[in-house]
Amino acid sequence: MSKKEITIALAGNPNSGKTTVFNNLTGARQHVGNWPGVTVEKKEGFCSFQKHRIRVVDLPGVYGLTAYSLDEIIARDYVVDEKPDVVVDVVDASNLERNLYLTVQLLEMKANLIVCLNMMDVAESRGYQIDVKALSSLLGAPAVPMVAASNRGTGELLETIYGVAMGSIPVSAINLQYGHDVEAEIAKLEKLISGNSLAGSYSPRWLAVKLLEDDREIIKKIGQA
Amino acid sequence: MENIEIISVKDESLEHLRKVHGDDAETLIADARYGFISGLMKDVLKKPAVEKETVTDKIDRLILNRWLGIPVFLAILYGVFEFTFVVSGPLINWINAGLDWLAGLTSGISPAWLGSLLSEGIIGGVGAVLSFIPVIFLLYIALSILEDTGYLSRAAFVMDRLMHKIGLHGRSFVTLMLGFGCSVPAVMSSRTIENPRDRLVTILVTPLMSCGAKLPVYALLAAAFFTAYQGLVVFSMYAIGIILAILMAWLFRKKLISGESGHFVMELPPYRLPTVVTVLAHMWERGWAFLSRAGTLIFGAVVLIWLLNYFDVLEHIGRAVAPIFSTAGFGQWQSAVALVFGVLAKETVVGAFGTLFAGAEATGGFGSVIGIQLGWTPLVAFAFMTMILLYIPCVATLSIIKKETGSWKWMLFTVAYTLALGWVVATLIYQIGSLFL
Repeated sequence: MSKKEITIALAGNPNSGKTTVFNNLTGARQHVGNWPGVTVEKKEGFCSFQKHRIRVVDLPGVYGLTAYSLDEIIARDYVVDEKPDVVVDVVDASNLERNLYLTVQLLEMKANLIVCLNMMDVAESRGYQIDVKALSSLLGAPAVPMVAASNRGTGELLETIYGVAMGSIPVSAINLQYGHDVEAEIAKLEKLISGNSLAGSYSPRWLAVKLLEDDREIIKKIGQA
Repeated sequence: MENIEIISVKDESLEHLRKVHGDDAETLIADARYGFISGLMKDVLKKPAVEKETVTDKIDRLILNRWLGIPVFLAILYGVFEFTFVVSGPLINWINAGLDWLAGLTSGISPAWLGSLLSEGIIGGVGAVLSFIPVIFLLYIALSILEDTGYLSRAAFVMDRLMHKIGLHGRSFVTLMLGFGCSVPAVMSSRTIENPRDRLVTILVTPLMSCGAKLPVYALLAAAFFTAYQGLVVFSMYAIGIILAILMAWLFRKKLISGESGHFVMELPPYRLPTVVTVLAHMWERGWAFLSRAGTLIFGAVVLIWLLNYFDVLEHIGRAVAPIFSTAGFGQWQSAVALVFGVLAKETVVGAFGTLFAGAEATGGFGSVIGIQLGWTPLVAFAFMTMILLYIPCVATLSIIKKETGSWKWMLFTVAYTLALGWVVATLIYQIGSLFL
């Protein structure tokens, strides 16, 4: 990859410290606008690493990527439509299980994901031991432990972002299995979708899963195509 | 063609899965995700055998207590207003002394119209609004602390059970609480409410909350008419706002926008000690909107009021509208003018009085001038305050309602119902109060 600007999107649950990570990465170089067509605030910032400009887009804080709320739709559409080079998922390490629900959905979208394990200090103070290596290999995505509140781990995060964007750190996202019966229906739909014009910008498997979730936005998109 | 085929195959698949599993595919897929995660957790996380009770758990035992939750919430709210008024009192007096001095300085300027515009219009009007900067900023500090510590989410959690009874969700209450700052971001925050019916009802009742712009009006009148009980009277405005918002939401949910209500987990973030910088930053975000409005919209409105008054048009406007409000005790043309221009922004009510009564003196400050000039009793002042609380939201709020609901219909509906509600409540307070006082 030779382009000079790397675009990354910051995803994460509310209260995961996403905003602090954003501030640590971009410092004062940020500006606020609106997401197209809606009155939801869109924050963007910049930083540089190894002579590359990194554009950081702060996605709305969400728990999942369904079509139930505007925030979730915005976050999801950005990842699908704009295809950022890297998606950094900020995760509250002291609430790992709940936060991973979003992580799994981002991996299902085949995002180039980095899991940013924030608030490691809080997790440790509760006596939690997190095996970062195991987490990273089970998810198939690099994981970076950090304490954003005291700006620890930002350097390593930047290096990982750079590595993933340049392709030197592999992201080999897992293929989540939904069980025999659901998989059979996914296969049917996937085959139909593959021959469809939409297939260009979306992964057919992901579209099939969304259809089975009765996702109204995706149904609308398919209806219009 | 093939797209229609995709949709129909999808429907068959859903039907098939429902038959086989008795569950929606959506549930099956979510289960697969949770299953994957809980399996992964076993390999990744080691928790201590006995989890320590965190500070958050200890505080929550008191604050989220079934019986104490709502009293604690009300006590905290009351504390916020006492704090705001006790601390801001002397600051407001200093600002007013400075403004009087400025008005004296400018009133002699010739030509006479310029002196009048400066001293009565701008210093009398905009100055009257600006003198409430301390109240507004202190309230915003208090609100920021409540939000940044994580208490706001607790308040919503405590109200969740009650909200369910009226067919809404605790998250709607977060939106209402944010309405204490300003309705515009509050209405925008309703995006987090997933059920569209819940969201619409929440948007419709959010303007009934006491926002920062209504506070100067309360502060002005409470200081003049309820000297010893200022904090209590202002607190009662906030309480009336919450109660009516909940009542109207219940009514709308029942009669207008019925249908199932959404269920989802209420988020309880751990308590965090907010840093001074974040609290000040949040205060500034909210306060800046107030300041910039004072410099633009309020300034323009006040100059317009001064102009209309200078050319003797204002009184005609006021007299045309005033009779509607005579049932509530404030049928004077000046208060009608204040209400008309208050739709631009609620602080304009203070600005309008400031311009109309500039130069008049009374012991007990500017609020007392209004009392003497209009012949108001404390009862009328109270009825007027409830009118300010309830009637037509400001134009900025109306435009965000239009934007977020995507329809003129709901915006116009808001105008109509809030005006009717304000008139009815103010009239009831005045008429029933007159029987006893």
